[in-house]
Amino acid sequence: MEFVLSLGIGIMTGSGVWLILRPRTYQVIIGLSLLSYAVNLFIFGVGGVKSNAAPLLEEGVPISSMTDPVPHALVLTAIVIGFATTALFLVVLLAARGLTGTDHVDGREQPK
Amino acid sequence: MTGELILVLLVCLPFAGSLAATVLLRTDSRVLAARLAGGVAFAGLLLTAMLYPAVRDGGRVRFDLEWLPQLGLNVTLRMDGFAWLFAMLITGIGCLVVLYARYYMSEEDPVPRFFSFLMAFMGSMLGIVLSGNVILLSVFWELTSIFSFLLISYWHNNAAARDGARMALTITGIGGFCLLAGLLVLGYIVGSYDLDAVLAAGDVIKAHPLYLTALVLILIGALTKSAQVPFHFWLPNAMAAPTPVSAYLHSATMVKAGVFLLVRLWPALSGTYEWFVLVGIAGTCTLLLGAYFAMFQQDLKGLLAYSTISHLGLITTLLSLGSPVAAVAAIFHMMNHATFKASLFMAAGIIDHETGTRDMRRLSGLFRYLPITGTLAMVASAAMAGVPLLNGFISKEMFFAEAVETHADSMLDRMLPYIATLAGAFSVAYSLRFIHQVFFGPPPTDLPKPKPHEPPHWMRFPIEFLVLACLVVGIIPSLSIGPFLHSAVLSVLGERTPEYSLAVWHGVNTPLIMSMIALIGGAALYFVLKDYLARCDDGPPLFRHLAGQRIFERVLVTVSWKWARWLESRLGTRNLQPQLRLVAAAGLLVGVVPLYIAGFSPKAPVLGEVDPIFAVIWCVGAFCAVGAAYQAKYHRLAALVLLGGAGITTCITFVWLSAPDLAITQLVVEIVTTVLLLLGLRWLPKRSEKVDNSVTLAARSRRLRDFVLALSCGFGMFLFSYAIMKQPVPDAIASYFLEKAYTEGGGRNVVNVILVDFRGFDTMGEIAVLAIVALTVFALLRRFRPAADSIEKPEQQRIQNAYDDARPERSAGDTVRDYLLVPSVIMQWMFPVVITFSIYLFLRGHDLPGGGFAGGVTMAIAFLLQYLAGGVRWAEDRIRILPLRWMGFGLLTAAATGMGAWLLGYPFLTTHSQYIELPFIGKVPAASALLFDLGVFSLVVGATVLILIALAHQSVRSHRVRNPEAPKAEEA
Amino acid sequence: MSGWQQHLIIAPIIIPLVAGALLLFFDERERVLKAMISAVSCLALAAVAFSLFRLAATDGFEGVYLLGNWPAPFGIVLVVDRLSALMLVLASILAIPTLVYALARWHAAGAHFHSLFQFLLMGLNGAFLTGDLFNLFVFFEVMLAASYGLLMHGSGPMRVKAGLHYIAVNLAAALCFLIGVSAIYGSAGTLNMADLAVRIGEIEGERRMLLEAGAGILGVVFLIKAGMWPLNFWLPGAYSAATAPVAGIFAIMSKVGIYVILRLSLLVFGQGASAGLGLNVLLYGGMATIAFGTIGVLASQALGRLASYSVLVSSGTLLAVLGLNNGVVTAGALFYMVSSTLTIAAFFLLIELVERGQDAGASVLAVTMEAYGDADEEDEEVEVGVTMPGTIAVLGICFAACGILLSGLPPLSGFVAKFAMLSGMIGTNVSAEGPIPASVWWIVGLLILSGLAALISMTRAGIRTFWASMEGTVPRVLVMEMAPVMLLIALTMALTIQAGPAMRYMEETVRSLQQPAAYIDAVVNARRAGIAEPGGPDGGGGI
Repeated sequence: MEFVLSLGIGIMTGSGVWLILRPRTYQVIIGLSLLSYAVNLFIFGVGGVKSNAAPLLEEGVPISSMTDPVPHALVLTAIVIGFATTALFLVVLLAARGLTGTDHVDGREQPK
Repeated sequence: MTGELILVLLVCLPFAGSLAATVLLRTDSRVLAARLAGGVAFAGLLLTAMLYPAVRDGGRVRFDLEWLPQLGLNVTLRMDGFAWLFAMLITGIGCLVVLYARYYMSEEDPVPRFFSFLMAFMGSMLGIVLSGNVILLSVFWELTSIFSFLLISYWHNNAAARDGARMALTITGIGGFCLLAGLLVLGYIVGSYDLDAVLAAGDVIKAHPLYLTALVLILIGALTKSAQVPFHFWLPNAMAAPTPVSAYLHSATMVKAGVFLLVRLWPALSGTYEWFVLVGIAGTCTLLLGAYFAMFQQDLKGLLAYSTISHLGLITTLLSLGSPVAAVAAIFHMMNHATFKASLFMAAGIIDHETGTRDMRRLSGLFRYLPITGTLAMVASAAMAGVPLLNGFISKEMFFAEAVETHADSMLDRMLPYIATLAGAFSVAYSLRFIHQVFFGPPPTDLPKPKPHEPPHWMRFPIEFLVLACLVVGIIPSLSIGPFLHSAVLSVLGERTPEYSLAVWHGVNTPLIMSMIALIGGAALYFVLKDYLARCDDGPPLFRHLAGQRIFERVLVTVSWKWARWLESRLGTRNLQPQLRLVAAAGLLVGVVPLYIAGFSPKAPVLGEVDPIFAVIWCVGAFCAVGAAYQAKYHRLAALVLLGGAGITTCITFVWLSAPDLAITQLVVEIVTTVLLLLGLRWLPKRSEKVDNSVTLAARSRRLRDFVLALSCGFGMFLFSYAIMKQPVPDAIASYFLEKAYTEGGGRNVVNVILVDFRGFDTMGEIAVLAIVALTVFALLRRFRPAADSIEKPEQQRIQNAYDDARPERSAGDTVRDYLLVPSVIMQWMFPVVITFSIYLFLRGHDLPGGGFAGGVTMAIAFLLQYLAGGVRWAEDRIRILPLRWMGFGLLTAAATGMGAWLLGYPFLTTHSQYIELPFIGKVPAASALLFDLGVFSLVVGATVLILIALAHQSVRSHRVRNPEAPKAEEA
Repeated sequence: MSGWQQHLIIAPIIIPLVAGALLLFFDERERVLKAMISAVSCLALAAVAFSLFRLAATDGFEGVYLLGNWPAPFGIVLVVDRLSALMLVLASILAIPTLVYALARWHAAGAHFHSLFQFLLMGLNGAFLTGDLFNLFVFFEVMLAASYGLLMHGSGPMRVKAGLHYIAVNLAAALCFLIGVSAIYGSAGTLNMADLAVRIGEIEGERRMLLEAGAGILGVVFLIKAGMWPLNFWLPGAYSAATAPVAGIFAIMSKVGIYVILRLSLLVFGQGASAGLGLNVLLYGGMATIAFGTIGVLASQALGRLASYSVLVSSGTLLAVLGLNNGVVTAGALFYMVSSTLTIAAFFLLIELVERGQDAGASVLAVTMEAYGDADEEDEEVEVGVTMPGTIAVLGICFAACGILLSGLPPLSGFVAKFAMLSGMIGTNVSAEGPIPASVWWIVGLLILSGLAALISMTRAGIRTFWASMEGTVPRVLVMEMAPVMLLIALTMALTIQAGPAMRYMEETVRSLQQPAAYIDAVVNARRAGIAEPGGPDGGGGI
């Protein structure tokens, strides 16, 4: 479990980092989204990974069997904030594209 | 009036006057300003005079006021005989200069400004001589630099004045900073910044390993201020200042500050070999070069400036010798030089004023026009040359006497007599030239102002007074200046005060012979050089072309401009990619290094525990991620789909690993994000692989580097997360939440309880972020301008519309409507369903997966569907939603819920919970947390809808022409 | 815990939040009303900040606020101590002049200025108050999100381009923040700073390693915020592109990073294996930053960039000095932080007025004018107050004051601050025995050089602006634009005169930071409302 998950996180991170280093704003935003997935999974993974141990209190289910709920809460907050910032970045890159006429991250085409 | 009070007044009065002149006076009230300044200066003179009894024979007056006591910086004013003498000089010459300036300044000049600067300078200068705390001294030291800058640049429309002022400030500023550092080190050695303590600790200082450091730093300060070689060149350039300023700052007072400091610290620093060498070399070089340069100046003030430099060199040389008598001579010469040099500057000013030029090649035979001024100038320059019966003679004799003595036996010491005599000869030569070339010879031919005549009497009065002083001191020294000089010497040297005699005649001895040689030699030199000097260009023959200030300017420009810009472009960047690269690299470094140090080696995973299905899911996920990375440049839509794939994988993982809340939230967010990006795609430029596939080598290497970086980041993250997942979290707080969630939080969904109760404050901040972003998006899009090439409708739409236009029975857009008929109907029907679902999600949140955020986003999706179905116009005809209101309401509700607890005396966000029966839905937790969650819900709806609408709207107003203004290039 | 005093602690966060929310109910056209709300909120903030300041200065004040009445470390706590109180006061002091300045003209340049301004204040105050790592992240995001909005307030290519870079870098930083925090949670099992400080002792082995990795990543984030070279290239672009009032309030944003570094390094990572490493990074990184900032100050022609590089110089100075980890010098550094923040804010506000007569400023205005002249824009430039008499003179004096402050010349607080730091390094207040280490000499040299560079380029710029070019054109300046600048400069004067008491406060602050025990104790044993024994087993938060 952990191995697969962390491998997945690694791959997502790699792709994300590669993308945010690209010159096109669209690539950067896709990269940022990938990275935020990776980071959310990371936070989530910190709490340890268990199946069928949702922190939903019911009669007869021992607390000890449940996963650590704190990382879940953190991830929820992180997701929301990530969503907000992605939306913002999208609009900013559209505005930049509109005002500068290019979708290069520096607002002007670099001399090759 | 007590001594302390007088000290305070002495320093404060000038500043007060300056302030008054700036604030009260109108720019045209010339006489008033002059009167004010004169009054202040004269008051200062009287106050100083009143203190004489207190400081006679070694007494001192002291005033202490705590400023920064814990750091040893206090407002300590301290007057002793030496300070008294200087204070008299400053205030006395101050009076005369003000009187002179009142006539000198012309009608156009904004005189109040001039006098206010002048008074402020006087205050700072008095501060220097009176401060009894070395740090305070450096405070006033810098102030004099600042005000001298303002005074030199008084005529700031004249470029020479601006440059001269800037150079003066830069050089003396450098000096000031070094001085401060030096004084700090001195304080470190002594353990106090108090002047008395410092003076008392002379032996400790000289023995300390940091003595040389302190000495060098302090000397840089003193020598720059006193324009000693090699820092001398700012002074001649400062001559662009109005003549009263030159007379006051650059001959009588400010340039004396350097030597003043040397005398002040003489007991603490002097007497070592380092002192002798450093100070001595600077002094003798200045003495000689200054005098030599002075001979070849064509500008009257230039000549005087270099002669000032040379005389300051003389004083420095005297101080370098380290013998008490030399110190006496130094102090004495400071006074004498101030008197005759100030008067000469004023005379030069009058000549300039009357003839309109200061160029000696054009001046001649002025004696017939200006007999009185001429006479005065002659006496003064005779004093400058050291002619007997004038004050200059006596101090120069003392200098010669000291020069022949041997002190620290060395090359320098043995050469001193010859240097002294030679310099003396030079000074005789330039003094002679000053008189002879200006006042004698044929009447001037080409004067800018023909017919010069004597100035008004009161303008000449200061000169008369000073010249009289020269004579009196020169003839009866011991009766006139004797006692004052003595108390000054006493205060500096204390018990080391030597026997010395101020007398005109000591019989025929070496000094006298040296003087005679200097006089005759100088006269001879002048008459040899006369004709050459009358014609030659400005500046001495050998050094004419290495003008200090040009070198300085060039160096300054090179270092502070060219190199700086070069370095800035090398060490910094204005592009985004390098910055992100650095961030990634830094994160990788600090993240992985500890793992490396700790020698971390992950345990190989047991394949048994890997669930195959999960593995397969993740293969897809990984493929999506990599694919997105690969496609993002040319196939944006594909990349978006793949991104969605990765998102879904994340979602499934959450489900799989028992985090239903996350799964739901992730899913709804996924949907909205995708829609947003889709809406955005339309505004991005077309890019096809055919157009730009010219990949240079540089680009390839860049990509390789980025690839390596990305790979290592990925690998590092993999290791890191694997390590941390294998590490069970120390159960510090988790179980607490599980236990209390129901009993105290009143909810079964622990995650939700944490969100709205235990850590509700986080949620509060999070919704604030959402609100802020929505506002920003709105504000930005209000100013949105599509790029020129994405204004026209998308291709497909155009084709369809063209098809419609071709058919008479169809109107534009019908085809689109036909295509979208079924989906739009479905979407319209789904509206109530989705709304209900969202409310359901919201209500059950406290016990089961769901909650305010998920519910809110779902409802936003419901609205979004309407937009997709019917288009912007259609949707807005039917549903009127005011997102801003929703947001405001949400935030206020959340805040109010939190504040409600105050009423019950509990801290913010304390909750209160119970269950209530609702028809159809059943038992519902009515925790006050629910109210909070309602706030979240409402805000999320508002914010999301606002963002979506704002973006969707662009298609409606895209026809708006983008204004032609091209993107601005970054300023150089 | 009881009484209004306790609830006062959260007011700095709630007041701007409520104000910002209220503002949403009013249309952009109701400018006066919006201005009123914003102003009232700022004044209230200042009042609260000052009373907290006074409370924090009194001994035995338990400035801990248990949100939701949950005991630490389970709930989120807010903590007011001398340091956070100082930062609160600084922020609220800065807010008033910048707001007034904005009211004259700039708040009309775009939508929702006031809400964003309030939310920025909320984020700042939250970051200063919170005692919980993840909550710190949340408030960083609040602050940053608002700063994105404000930076691009008024739109225009320059600002949007700068905004793009600024946002991209900060999003990357935010991701690092999350990684760091969760790594710390994973290894220490807590998010509460005080609790972390307690636990950090007994963490060893792999846990320790992960903890250090997490802490390191967090450190990178804060260094990005603080603007340490080479992670600070976003700063000059962003600060110089922002509108004057925004740049003015941004002057304190780079100090937030410094604040957090100071707080965590002394509270949590004060001792232990990783402490020394971190200090060296601060020391040398700080020196590099001073050098880079100095170079930038010399190399920049436009005043805006000059000011931005001065921000870097000030950050570098603080970082390097904190790296020395010497109490006396740190106290001086706190004084310097206050002084330089006020200075830079004043300078940013002044620049726009000075350049208004000239091309550079005109172009910036043109950008907003283009925004005004929009087809569907109702807002037009509103004139408030009357144009200044003797404008040039006042501008000149203020400019000179800024130059003096930046280059650390007497008599203003810049000098006192520099002296206070130097005196602790090479002066009478050197506490350490033995010879002065080389690194200290380097810092001294850099400080002096940076001051000199500021002097050179400020005179250069001043001469160019006032004497060479501004002969004819007198910029139109309103009193309510000039007054804030003068107020800020007056504050630096007050700081100079009151140097003694101010330094005493700073020294007390440093002393309290160096003994974190009291802080930790206060947080861990904070008593809950309405419950006899803290954190009792049956104790219920609800009623």
